[in-house]
Amino acid sequence: MTDEAVTKTDTAAGPAAERRAAMIAIAAWLLPGLGHALMRMWSRALACLLCVGALVFCGAGMRGNLFGWETADPFSRLGFVADAGSGVFYWIAKSVESGGPDVSHADGDYGTRLLAAAGVLNLLAALHAYEAARGRKA
Amino acid sequence: MSPLRLSHFQALLLFAFLVSLALGVLSRRAPKEQVKYAARSLFWFLLIGIGIGWIMYPFSR
Repeated sequence: MTDEAVTKTDTAAGPAAERRAAMIAIAAWLLPGLGHALMRMWSRALACLLCVGALVFCGAGMRGNLFGWETADPFSRLGFVADAGSGVFYWIAKSVESGGPDVSHADGDYGTRLLAAAGVLNLLAALHAYEAARGRKA
Repeated sequence: MSPLRLSHFQALLLFAFLVSLALGVLSRRAPKEQVKYAARSLFWFLLIGIGIGWIMYPFSR
């Protein structure tokens, strides 16, 4: 195989591999652990699912603040980005939330941090899955 | 559903344990290395958290 042929093969496989990696990253964001599960990294998939799930469960149980998008406050919007990082868990927690947040107690404040940590951790996991799908990490 | 009530230390322990576990699993490949990394991360989370708590203690009185 000539160098030209190798280059053509690489460029042909490149965009497809990039698309696959992007799809894996989106899957990893939507459902924590799914990106790693698609690459058959079972222990990492399970760890992501359990850790992010437990953080959201405890954070919502402590009546932490789940930020919404519709706000003028830039810090609240930043909070939304962090919270929404946990993908489907954010919308589940938002839909089952009945009493709203209670940050008058320390528990509610800690809950807010746990929810944000869950989202940021899942974004980190999605980035890891993306890099693994591109062959740069394993 | 009644809200989950945790003490400051329990909340710190929960956060540190879950985040350390996820970081260990994501950042190392071999299971033994993952456990070592998670344990070291948990130790530092707790040490720094408790340390900062003690540093702030005089200002809370």
